[in-house]
Amino acid sequence: MPAELKQEQSPSNQTSIAMMQEPQEMVEETVTVEEDPGTPTSHVSIVTSEDGTTRRTETKVTKMVKTVTTRTVRQVPLGPDGLPSMDGSSPMGSYTDSIDRRYMKNGERYITPQASSTLTRSYNNYNDSYPESHEGQYRPYIGHDGYGDLSDNYGSLSRGVNYRPRYAYVPGNSYRPDDGSFTLPSRRDNYGPVAQPQVPVGSNVDLNRSQPERFQPEPYGLEDDNRSLGVDDEGYELDPDYSTVNRRTSAGVPERGRPHKGRGYDDPIETEMVEERIPYLHGGYAAPLAQPERGSMASIDRLGKRSPSIDSIRKDPRWRDPDLPEVIAMLSHPIDPVKSNAAAYLQHLCYENDKIKKDVRHLKGIPILVGLLDHPKPEVHRKACGALRNISYGKDNENKVAIKNCDGIPALIRLLRKTNDMEVRELITGTLWNLSSYEPLKMVIINHGLQTLTNEVIIPHSGWESEPNEDSKPRDAEWTTVFKNTSGCLRNVSSDGAEARRRLRECDGLVDALLHALQSAVGKKDTDNKSVENCVCIMRNLSYHVHKEVPGADKYQELDASQTTSMGGSQKKKKDDAGCFGGKKAKEEWFNQGKKNGDLDRNFDTLDLPKRSEAAKGFELLYQPDVVRLYLSILTESQNFNTLEAAAGALQNLSAGNWMWSTYIRATVRKERGLPVLVELLQSDSDKVVRAVSIALRNLSMDRRNKDLIGSYAMGELVRNLPSRQQRSAKNLEEDTVVAVLNTIHEIITDSSENARSLIQTQGIQKLVAISKSSQSPRETKAASHVLQMIWSYKELRNALQKDGWNKSHFQSVSATPKGSKGIAGRSGYDDSTLPLVDKSQDNEKAGSRDMIPMDELGPDGYSTIDHRDKERKYKTSDNTGDASEKEPLKG
Amino acid sequence: MSYVPGQPVTAVVQRIEIHKLRQGDNLILGFSIGGGIDQDPTQNPFSEDKTDKGIYVTRVTEGGPAEVAGLQIGDKIMQVNGWDMTMVTHDQARKRLTKRNEEVVRLLVTRQSLQKAVQQSMMS
Repeated sequence: MPAELKQEQSPSNQTSIAMMQEPQEMVEETVTVEEDPGTPTSHVSIVTSEDGTTRRTETKVTKMVKTVTTRTVRQVPLGPDGLPSMDGSSPMGSYTDSIDRRYMKNGERYITPQASSTLTRSYNNYNDSYPESHEGQYRPYIGHDGYGDLSDNYGSLSRGVNYRPRYAYVPGNSYRPDDGSFTLPSRRDNYGPVAQPQVPVGSNVDLNRSQPERFQPEPYGLEDDNRSLGVDDEGYELDPDYSTVNRRTSAGVPERGRPHKGRGYDDPIETEMVEERIPYLHGGYAAPLAQPERGSMASIDRLGKRSPSIDSIRKDPRWRDPDLPEVIAMLSHPIDPVKSNAAAYLQHLCYENDKIKKDVRHLKGIPILVGLLDHPKPEVHRKACGALRNISYGKDNENKVAIKNCDGIPALIRLLRKTNDMEVRELITGTLWNLSSYEPLKMVIINHGLQTLTNEVIIPHSGWESEPNEDSKPRDAEWTTVFKNTSGCLRNVSSDGAEARRRLRECDGLVDALLHALQSAVGKKDTDNKSVENCVCIMRNLSYHVHKEVPGADKYQELDASQTTSMGGSQKKKKDDAGCFGGKKAKEEWFNQGKKNGDLDRNFDTLDLPKRSEAAKGFELLYQPDVVRLYLSILTESQNFNTLEAAAGALQNLSAGNWMWSTYIRATVRKERGLPVLVELLQSDSDKVVRAVSIALRNLSMDRRNKDLIGSYAMGELVRNLPSRQQRSAKNLEEDTVVAVLNTIHEIITDSSENARSLIQTQGIQKLVAISKSSQSPRETKAASHVLQMIWSYKELRNALQKDGWNKSHFQSVSATPKGSKGIAGRSGYDDSTLPLVDKSQDNEKAGSRDMIPMDELGPDGYSTIDHRDKERKYKTSDNTGDASEKEPLKG
Repeated sequence: MSYVPGQPVTAVVQRIEIHKLRQGDNLILGFSIGGGIDQDPTQNPFSEDKTDKGIYVTRVTEGGPAEVAGLQIGDKIMQVNGWDMTMVTHDQARKRLTKRNEEVVRLLVTRQSLQKAVQQSMMS
């Protein structure tokens, strides 16, 4: 066959067509590449081959710089046209003149010795060794290892990156390798020996040039890209560096059609490029990972110098996308653009793909990415951060733990401090937001990053100035993404318990800045955005148990005794007693009901805060009456349910407790006309809002005057919130909400038979009885029964009730309720904030009157705040929503 | 970072300039050190060579002057304001860092990652 081959080839350039057939033969040839230092000149010569054929060959000038090593040709899959898929044969180069071309560069170019050379090459392949040929073979790849003769190894060649099956690049244009026939060249290539790597570089379309081979000897023969010769990937001799890169699958040169289309990359640095480029080897054209992501190529395409265009990727099946271990290996590549592209690709792969995230973790990719955060180059650390952000997102918390375990959190904080790039800062804070949603990491984040986040993000973006300049007007807050992410992160960590709350309260400047930001939001009437929501949630969390946890709380504690006696005294007072007893603030219309609630109330009204020598700062701001105004404004303006819930929750927290500040706050809410605002929010459609507001009202009604007012104006709304079978318009509220409303009602009617009367008047009894008898939830039933019992305890109202048709049995419905429930309630009262203070009167532990609200009885979750569980629950949801979304890697 | 007695020590270092923070009457640096020729080097969690008696950074307070300047936990301090720190006792090291009349200390520190980074860039 070789003979045949020869024949074909001999006819000189035109033989190309003939040659076509040859390729098949080329398999399994082992060719040893000779190192041909160079057949220096190019000249047209006529070579007579051994077998007598005469050929006209163009000389090839070869300066081979490198030696090609032996390669074994593997079966070369033939491409469609029968040409071996490998392309290699660049050398076939042009039969035609192109002599000059050959020269090209010193050796770099693989000049195919023109026909002859190629021929020879082929011959070589065929075991003919033509004298001249071999060298021709340019081993183009200078020094590539193993690029053996093209011919044989097409397979290997391909690998070698060297061979670029000429086709590969055929960019379609140009480069027609040589011979006019265009096909020829390709064919030749196929035959192999050609030097493969042709890097199509530049070959510019000069047909005549025919030298397809010009190839820049890139070390790896750039061709790599093209290489994807055929199928056999085996081996890939991979260059040491790019293991992946070189993988070339000889995917049967699909491109066969285009003879060399050489990629027209003129870029001489192809080899390098190759490296950078994430090699897309088309092993079988089907890159397992990459398929759908053609788009992602764009990111990868951003290679330093030249990147395979998406088109070439798509159309060039020779490249296969790297698989995951390869990508992770590339993260440690010495060349920086490789690192950054690998990181970007990783980010892309991980997007919404939990399996890949897990794999990355198993392959130990996370410590490498964390290490890249310290890299000085912005592209590298930016992409690494993007990849980490995607990895940290999701339900699987193992990834978050892995990031923390390799010191990712301090590394992120370090980078945040160093960088000025807004995008990097967004990525960093987004990653921290994701990490903070996992409970065990919250304290770690606080330890490493609290002060930095405050100083670097919260304070600057909030517009707060620690040393306010009198001349300048206060700055407005900037609602940037970085601020949103950071506030989200702090929101999550603030839910982590008492220690976390303490650290945040004591963090320098945090509370001040947050309040300043909220003030400016209210001022700009922009209270629905996520950042505001996050800030209010932080404030709510920090207000939790503030009466117990802030330093110096003791001295503000009200004495229970005095309070209770005063409250006790006021028990019987009717609010509509004469006159403006609380005359000082007589201007309040609604609220001022001239109550005669006792001196204490009056005192509360006129209670003066201890004189301050300097303005409050830090956590003290949490409970200054000014915040009341702020929260009420937010409640009035905002439409965001989370924000409303948080603001109501903050008021709830603040008005809990027995200390002086909460007393003052309760009064201030009233004075600032907050009660109508809250009552109106009871009409909200959102469960959580209704719940938070009703518990807030419950706490607020610890203040006598509030209780009276709330009882008269809010009772209707509260009753309306109770479920009822008849009323179709009744809201369908969750169990927790219903229980909260019931407890609020209970609280309001306690100690105030007036309120109990208004409850009767609003048709509440019917609903209560219905609930207590037939509700599905035991908690609802219990709560309703308590209310009913309380009502029944007002003897003076029994007549009215009986007139309406109710009798005792309705009110004492739950059997064994009193004792049983007491027991249960006593215990569970600590757990469930929504349980009413059960049977205070029956409770022996509490001395004192029923009026006293045994805050302690309720335990930590008593009135004061949202149940810890709730809080957690709440935060969990907000955590998830708070996770910064994954992003596609930035393109371009 | 292994030390051969009598031979010069070479390392890839980073310059770090810490501006001490004044808190009342104190100037604080914001980090803690461990090590010294009078200490037990095997207890050092940060050193690669467990016979290395150099001075290592064992803790960096968050947001403090040292962190702001770029000091990281685990760094080995080679020099402080020109004074060698590779062959000093713990107390001498402390004193050299905490001089009351110096508001700025300039350190040369080295760490594993620096070494690796240089190696990698040399390879390319």
